[in-house]
Order: sequence, then structure tokens, then C-alpha cells
Amino acid sequence: MENSITRGERRTLVPSVRIMEDETEVLAQLEMPGVTNEGLEIKIDGSTLTIDGRRTDAIPEGKFLIRERRHEEYHKAFTIDDSIDHDGVSANLADGVLTLRLKVKEAAKPRKISVS
Amino acid sequence: MDLANLVSRRREPPAARDLWDAFDDLRSEFERSFGGLELSNVAGLLDWPAGPAIDLVESDEEILLLADLPGVRKDDLQVSIQGNILTVKGEKKLEEPSKSRKVVRTETWVGSFSRTVNLPPSVNTDKVEAQLRDGILRIRVAKREESQRRTVQVSVK
Repeated sequence: MENSITRGERRTLVPSVRIMEDETEVLAQLEMPGVTNEGLEIKIDGSTLTIDGRRTDAIPEGKFLIRERRHEEYHKAFTIDDSIDHDGVSANLADGVLTLRLKVKEAAKPRKISVS
Repeated sequence: MDLANLVSRRREPPAARDLWDAFDDLRSEFERSFGGLELSNVAGLLDWPAGPAIDLVESDEEILLLADLPGVRKDDLQVSIQGNILTVKGEKKLEEPSKSRKVVRTETWVGSFSRTVNLPPSVNTDKVEAQLRDGILRIRVAKREESQRRTVQVSVK
């Protein structure tokens, strides 16, 4: 079974994510410290949204007194359903956090019906 | 799970591996046991957030502390040294939920954090540099000159 830690020979790191939503959009925030715009690739293929992040920081040289950080590349895939407008996805990377905004299609938004 | 398989595997001599291999083993064992369950969809269960991860690296000239601090701004960060104790304190902020915006999934932590590290006695705490970029904090503390690697010529009588 393929899992997101060991994809073939390449070991990747799944970024921690926080997802929020309201009636108009879905907001996903992924923690990817060390990634800059150049090392970031976001793709939508069918109903799959993939995020790949390459770290730009090098592994330091010397003797590790404490080693807790992982240094693999980031990989995350989301399945997005029909209610999301594929053309309405925007992304912003700041302070090691990638913020994705996915617009909900007009047809999928709740409608208010006024009673006359 | 096949118990005999587990027992026989335990007898194998440990190969050269890093710490993370052990976690990957645990994870794949977990996945075998709960076959079919999409673990990537419940990443938060295994990746319990316990505060910022750090590296402390010693080279000939300096001690380098690296901390993963995504979502932390410079103004929300405090670095201090007292004696040989280095403290990194701060607050991590992400976009906040509201009355209409609900959190549907969270694998991360927000709020204040503090991490304290004991530096080796060879450091010169007057020479400290800190830089926060792309969610990574780098603190360099120089070593005292007399503690840097040097060659002493000893004359033999």
C-alpha cells in the first residue's frame, strides 16, 4: 500500500494542516517551514489537489546535540469535491505557512429564499 | 496481525538506521494492522503536535539552533539567554475561525510556546545572532575562542 511517508524510494513529510470553511470558501493552511515560492508546486488534476514543497534550507553540518526536525520534502494531496470551483483556487505562502483559498461554486452555496 | 511474524522479526539484529526509520516501521505496522484505513487522512492522530521541533548543532566555531516556527512573526518572538540557558518564546498565529467560519480539521497547534535549551559551556553568549525566515528560526551562538579547536605544540624534553 502506498502511503504518504514512503512514496517509492523518496521519503516525504506530510505538512500539518488546519482547514476552515464557511459558506463561500474553504481555507486550508499548511505548515511548510523552509519552503519558498520557488520550491512550491500546486496542481489540480481532476478532483485531486496536490501540493509539493521543496525545502530551500540545507541540513547543517556539525555534531547534532538535539535533532528533532525532519528534512524531507513536503507532499500533500487533497480530494476536492464538485462544490469547489477549480478556477477559484488561490494560494499564498508566508512565514512557512501556505494558505489556500478554495471558492465554493455559486450553485453549491446556500440560497436564501425570501417570503413575501 | 501475525504474532509469529512479529516475534521472529524481533530476533533480527538491528541494522544501521536512523531514528525516523523506527517511526516509519511503527507507522507501516499500524497500517498493516488497520489495512485499508487511509492513514494519510488522519495524520493528526500520529503526528501529535508537541511544540516547535528544534535542532541544536555544534560545529568548530559555533552552536546553531534551528527551530521550525511556521506562522510565527518576528514581532511575536522573544529570544533570551541567561547564563548558558537559551529560551525561545513566542506566539503562533494562524487565520482565526469565526462565527461563520468553522474549523473542520486541525492537525496543528496555535498559541504561545516556549522552548528552553541548555547550551554547552564553551559558548560566548555575547556573540549571538538570530534570524527568522520562511518559518525557520536560526540562532547562532559563537564559541569562545579558547574552546575552538586549536593545535598546541608541546615540546618534548
